[in-house]
Amino acid sequence: MKQILLITDGCSNVGTSPVLAAAEAREEGITVNVVGVIDYGTIGELGSREIEDIAKAGGGISQIVGTRQLAHTMQMMTRKTVVQTIQQAVNRELTQILGEKVSKTVTDLEPAQRAQVVEVIDNLAETTPLQVILLIDVSASMKPKLAAVEEGIRDLMLSLQARVGQSKLSVFHFPGRHSGEEAVMDINWTSDLGSVRSLFGRLQMKGATPTGPAIQKVIDFYRYGTLEGQQEIEGNYRIEREGMLGDNVV
Amino acid sequence: MTTLSDASFPPGTVITGKWNRSRYTIRKLLGKGANGIVFLVQRGENGKHYALKMGFDPFDLQSEINVLKSFQLQRNHEALKQSGIPSYLKDVDDYAIQGRDIPFYVMRYVRGEALHHFIRRQGTDWTLLVGLRLLQKLAQLHQAGWVFGDLKPQNVLVSDFGQVELIDYGGVTSIGRSVKQFTEWYDRGFWNGGSRTADGTYDVFAFALLLIHVLEGEALKALAAEGLPQLRSVNQLTALVERSERLRPFRNWTIQALRGQFRDAGHAAKAWKDIMARPAPLRRRSSSSTPRWLKNAFAVSVILLIGVLIYALRF
Repeated sequence: MKQILLITDGCSNVGTSPVLAAAEAREEGITVNVVGVIDYGTIGELGSREIEDIAKAGGGISQIVGTRQLAHTMQMMTRKTVVQTIQQAVNRELTQILGEKVSKTVTDLEPAQRAQVVEVIDNLAETTPLQVILLIDVSASMKPKLAAVEEGIRDLMLSLQARVGQSKLSVFHFPGRHSGEEAVMDINWTSDLGSVRSLFGRLQMKGATPTGPAIQKVIDFYRYGTLEGQQEIEGNYRIEREGMLGDNVV
Repeated sequence: MTTLSDASFPPGTVITGKWNRSRYTIRKLLGKGANGIVFLVQRGENGKHYALKMGFDPFDLQSEINVLKSFQLQRNHEALKQSGIPSYLKDVDDYAIQGRDIPFYVMRYVRGEALHHFIRRQGTDWTLLVGLRLLQKLAQLHQAGWVFGDLKPQNVLVSDFGQVELIDYGGVTSIGRSVKQFTEWYDRGFWNGGSRTADGTYDVFAFALLLIHVLEGEALKALAAEGLPQLRSVNQLTALVERSERLRPFRNWTIQALRGQFRDAGHAAKAWKDIMARPAPLRRRSSSSTPRWLKNAFAVSVILLIGVLIYALRF
């Protein structure tokens, strides 16, 4: 089971629509969850609508929280999505087995049957292998929140480690150092809590928020299991277009 | 999904089960848990009192019901039989209202108040007794292969005579799996004190935090809020325990619990009983009993007096 958990605090402003990118992820069997993180003030109507839309397009859930609830929210969302993904699959099966036109859910079953179905879902949720990519917005306004994000990552890792099924986590941030670099890997697939330490210490924060391109980048990572091959090809390509791309940054 | 709110169910509302057709009349709101809302109800109009829990999410609620059902299947398990937990669940059904089904279950109604309220009202003298009974409840669960998980004062009900009942089984997890539901403050992982895999020491750790919360709430609050999360540690907690005058009788026990040195609640309960058997440090501060040094001083002065009298009367 594959998930992307996007953590951001506002609207994207560069490149492909993140809603489209999330829809593409879903097509690849990857669920996209979004946490909007705010401390003072609000995220704005535009920002909160985008957050909701990304999650809807990506088949996941979204929530806007303060830094204090961030760790707990990340952990709950991941867990809930695992259950929901399995539930959706089970609901499809139920509809098929019962051979009816209307889609069936667990509440359509009488309590005794429901108990059995939920037991199966519970077991699968605990034992299914799980991969989560965290995609962290590190545009300038996120800077004061990154300590909380790091804590959230550590906390999520702790919960994933406790699962019976194999769980792996990878961390990316965006934007990168220059305009062609949509997302940068901070941690490759790991199940080790120790590797989550002072991730964003020396980052230079920039203003642009290319959420869409960043999502596409991690979809590629899921596809190819590596960024290097991709980057090499794009690197050559970039030299030719460098001037052009530079203008895209808002 | 989360549009379920207590406001839509005023006292007097009659809940009729979709499958079993049983009827319950809502009397009052008892509380909100992580997975749903709990009401005090009466069967029919004037029947027996029960607690009825409506779930926010059919899956989560059913998962909780499954745990309660497993207790019933294990009802011949000696430890569980003693705890009375298998008879907790009474009915499971859906309440159809406005085109949707709200899942609910009905359980035994336990009269009492949350642990921290009880201690605040009745005094910290009750801590030893109530603590032991809580540990015994947890021990019964552990023996049957379960971990309570979400142990916090709100989930422990204490009746007037110090009887303890665990409520809200949403966090109950079978040993070896990941803890289903927990609350940051009481979570071993939050304090960098170990994994979130369900084992006996997980509950014992939460119990220690609960004890610190009840007796040194302000200090714990300050500790949880201050500093960097990656610096949060068991050592900070043990330092707090060592500083605390109120935790003094429990000092060694609590430090052992925080360090994971009790393998389960049964083991921890045995050590707890040792505190009860050596009540000296706990009772020393109470004003009613006479300190030993005073008794000794009195005895010495009486002997002196007699000595002086004998000496005086000889002449």
